[in-house]
Amino acid sequence: MDIIETKNLTKYYGKIRGIEDITLSVKKGEIFGFLGPNGAGKTTMIRTLLGFLKPTRGGAYLFGLNINEDGLEIKQDIGYIPGDLNLYGHLAGGQFLQYFTSLRSSDAYLLEELLTIFDVPLDRKIKGYSKGMKQKLGIIQAFMHDPELVIMDEPTSGLDPLLQQKFYDFLLKEKKKGKTMFLSSHILSEVDKICDRVGIVRDGRLVALENIDTLKDKKGKIIRLKLKEKPSSFKGPKNMKIRDGWIQFIATDNIDHWIKKMSKFTIIDLEISEFSLEDIFIHYYEGKR
Amino acid sequence: MNNWFRIAFQTMKDYYRTTIILAIFYMGMAAMYCGMFPSFKEVLEDMMASGGAEPFSQFFGPAAADMATYVGFLNLELYQIFWIVILGILLGFIAASQISKDIEGKTIDLLMSNPVSRKQIVIEKFIGLIPLVLILNFSTMLSVMGTTIAIGEKLNFGNLFLTHLVSIPYLLAVISIGILLSVLIDEKMKASIFFIALFMGMYVLESISKIIPDFESLGYVSITHYFNPYDSLKFGEVNAVNIIILTVIFLEVLLFAMLYFEKRDIKIS
Repeated sequence: MDIIETKNLTKYYGKIRGIEDITLSVKKGEIFGFLGPNGAGKTTMIRTLLGFLKPTRGGAYLFGLNINEDGLEIKQDIGYIPGDLNLYGHLAGGQFLQYFTSLRSSDAYLLEELLTIFDVPLDRKIKGYSKGMKQKLGIIQAFMHDPELVIMDEPTSGLDPLLQQKFYDFLLKEKKKGKTMFLSSHILSEVDKICDRVGIVRDGRLVALENIDTLKDKKGKIIRLKLKEKPSSFKGPKNMKIRDGWIQFIATDNIDHWIKKMSKFTIIDLEISEFSLEDIFIHYYEGKR
Repeated sequence: MNNWFRIAFQTMKDYYRTTIILAIFYMGMAAMYCGMFPSFKEVLEDMMASGGAEPFSQFFGPAAADMATYVGFLNLELYQIFWIVILGILLGFIAASQISKDIEGKTIDLLMSNPVSRKQIVIEKFIGLIPLVLILNFSTMLSVMGTTIAIGEKLNFGNLFLTHLVSIPYLLAVISIGILLSVLIDEKMKASIFFIALFMGMYVLESISKIIPDFESLGYVSITHYFNPYDSLKFGEVNAVNIIILTVIFLEVLLFAMLYFEKRDIKIS
């Protein structure tokens, strides 16, 4: 049985498309990354899965249960970190965790462990928390009852790199225990590190559903180059373009080959940048739509 | 499921300070009005004798003629104004912010990620306000009793208790309307202000219905129409139909709020 299964899941806000015809499944023990630029429909997808928004069409099943009918049962075994995380500011961190533990009618099995990784001032009112502290508290509440599935909407926003790493380590540890995770992100490197599979969403539609390794193969560097010689004398890959005297191409294989090739020319200027997620969209998925 | 009443309990905790402050305020106001009576007594009696109560009688009915008595004075000054109107507005204002503030403040997402149904959220937010209603209600009653004894006036405490007992369905109807608005409107200030507008609208319609004979039926749309503290305070009379109507209102409104909240999309912007 798949932990998450959606069939043509569609959500329109009136005439505005949130998501359309999203069909995917997430297996037990998998970390699934839901990738897309801002406004692509990631949050709509997550909030529909959780039953906050009613699907316009199609359906979704968590643990094999219908999200529209068995929400209560489903939520027994779910943790959630909202994208726009807002906590009860008037409560102290500890009071908040206590309140949520009681709402879940389950023990906070992982609380101790989580607090050692993500320490937060439990006595202080959440109002006085920094963004990072709030995010940590958001992570704690999502995982403390040791749920089978945790749904996260851009969970690392507001965390410093060190904490991000701790968070990734924690996710991988949970995965080893057989927990399933669904997370949205617009950061490719994050998805690289932890996800087994990714779905790429664009304008509300799923444009790719792949293993992370396949996606990694499609990674590359953007090379921009200005030569003293005539630009057309440089033989680049098929995707090479010449604009305003700049040569631009994407190196999907190892860049060593290209650097050696360039060394035969006189280089006036050179830029090598990471292939961003946006570039992947444009480069690989534009034509497929 | 054993997570029932956690939201209600949290709501009570969130409002305990408000409860104490409002209770002290209402006890103070009640004591002030009761305590004021002896110094107003003669003036009012003169006014009555010279027919000065005429303009009021249309509005407040037979109660106006009773203005110079302690019961009549309490009814007019404390119950008609501070109880029916001001307390109605205060409680409704608070109730209208219950769920709207969770949606506006986006905490609704986290709350709903727990195994609690939407209906449960609505009903528990309502239940969470009941202690506020009861504490305000009976602390005011105790203040009236205490002050009455202190100034040596006569008042039937049985009738007083009855009045505060029949206040309960009225106040519950008020907060149920507030709760309904809080699931209909996503911004807490908007919801609360809309409540005031609605409440005042109802009150004005009822007032018009009293003054203009042809418009008598207009009053039926107002919940204030179904609560008459004077009858219970003076005569110990309770109109059972009114109690039933208020109870039906609060149950139906609450049920509608639950059903509507269950169906709607929770959008956050």
